[in-house]
Amino acid sequence: MAVCPVYTTQSLNSTCSISTPSKTHFSSHHNHLVFYRTSKRTSKRGGSSSCVITCSAGDSQTVVIGLAADSGCGKSTFMRRLTSVFGGAAEPPKGGNPDSNTLISDMTTVICLDDYHSLDRTGRKEKGVTALDPRANDFDLMYEQVKALKSGIAVDKPIYNHVSGLLDPPELIKPPKILVIEGLHPMFDERVRDLLDFSIYLDISNEVKFAWKIQRDMAERGHSLESIKASIEARKPDFDAFIDPQKQYADAVIEVLPTQLIPDDNEGKVLRVRLIMKEGVEHFSPVYLFDEGSTISWIPCGRKLTCSYPGIKFSYGPDTYFGHEVSVLEMDGQFDRLDELIYVESHLSNLSTKFYGEVTQQMLKHADFPGSNNGTGLFQTIVGLKIRDLYEQITASKTAAPLQATKA
Amino acid sequence: MATLRFNSLTGTLEKNSTSFFSSNPRLCWAYFQCNNKGERRASRMTVKAMGAAKYKGTQMREKKLTEMIEKKVTEAKQVCEGDETSDECKVAWDEVEEVSQAKADLRLRLEIEKKDPLESFCQENPETEECKIYED
Repeated sequence: MAVCPVYTTQSLNSTCSISTPSKTHFSSHHNHLVFYRTSKRTSKRGGSSSCVITCSAGDSQTVVIGLAADSGCGKSTFMRRLTSVFGGAAEPPKGGNPDSNTLISDMTTVICLDDYHSLDRTGRKEKGVTALDPRANDFDLMYEQVKALKSGIAVDKPIYNHVSGLLDPPELIKPPKILVIEGLHPMFDERVRDLLDFSIYLDISNEVKFAWKIQRDMAERGHSLESIKASIEARKPDFDAFIDPQKQYADAVIEVLPTQLIPDDNEGKVLRVRLIMKEGVEHFSPVYLFDEGSTISWIPCGRKLTCSYPGIKFSYGPDTYFGHEVSVLEMDGQFDRLDELIYVESHLSNLSTKFYGEVTQQMLKHADFPGSNNGTGLFQTIVGLKIRDLYEQITASKTAAPLQATKA
Repeated sequence: MATLRFNSLTGTLEKNSTSFFSSNPRLCWAYFQCNNKGERRASRMTVKAMGAAKYKGTQMREKKLTEMIEKKVTEAKQVCEGDETSDECKVAWDEVEEVSQAKADLRLRLEIEKKDPLESFCQENPETEECKIYED
């Protein structure tokens, strides 16, 4: 039984998709190619669609995205925005373990890398290692399973239960079109890194982290400013040693810093967000402002647009980051109104939108998500569109080869 | 053109607000006590403010996480009294972080998905203890 994803010449909203994923390992020398073309008459849903079904275990069929973040996983707003760009809501697997960390939508499956903990909470306590420590994680299993999913083979993935702190029985994960692996160590292991088609690192500065954790925890019984601070401080050595170095490998880094528009602001409400985009990444063209490769500083508020305090400030320019050429787009400030957002969108280029106002529309769709009024929401949405673009380019390049073969 | 109000990320520290994210202003007025700016004022009764908890299982999880946070903070303070740089101290605070995040994730999920996480599980297993309807 082979895995047979169907590729069409059309874009994502394809009318033909037949896929019967199987768990059996498909050895690479069995390379069956089945060509099947539907005509207008027989196709149930009409429309011209020449579909080619290719079954091959050798190719990568699933696009894999890595997201490094310290903020829990699978349920984060970044993931929700990303899955929303592709359409459909991401939900936990129905009928399975209610404490599952996995999110599934039509196009995407988001896996939480905490599921690859080799030590549960008790085990980590015994060994004296935090969850940040690589010794608490099974990178061999992570690599095997991500590799299998990428090749179109379903896996039984363990579940780490954050409530009980135990490892629960595994759940079946079928290979999706887009696999997102989110957690503390997506880029730590070199083998896993090589499987990623695109990687993102969410870099929150210490001051902002502190402000966010205060907002998150202050109302909890037991927590106080001191306990929140102590928790961050205690985890910092492991974080700096094991998590932070991954950012050099990321194709895009979203850096969140305190604003420079309000002197001595420590509330962490107004944010300065930088989107650091690596140059030369296949299928990824960085977003730019006005003139690609130049250095721009832009305050949109003025005669055409009135903004309330503290306003909005953009900048864009080339830079180097850990020895790589990058382009950096930065936003400081907050959006207060719809027209500010659309005004900004109309001046950005290379957004990979399918229609004018798509970024604004996506932001509005999730106006109640955190970060909807600042650079975090804006850049997360833009990265989502970039990933969609990357996905379409990758799958288009895969269809090109078999279609040419049929023409011959 | 319609104007849309984006509320800022959260309330201020002085108000002891639990609102972790900007609320839809209409939702704000309808379900919570709001000040005149439309910001949600919440008390420390976080269980009630947590959105759409419907099943007993979810309410039990919320309660358990709340208790664990309190317990683990106390433990961490004790463990770290001796040596703040010890492995035991690091692990203790890491556990605090883990359960704090788990609670926040549950809260966020209830607010954003607006349905109980046990919904689909309870449709298949309505007779279990976890799936009894939670009555306030």
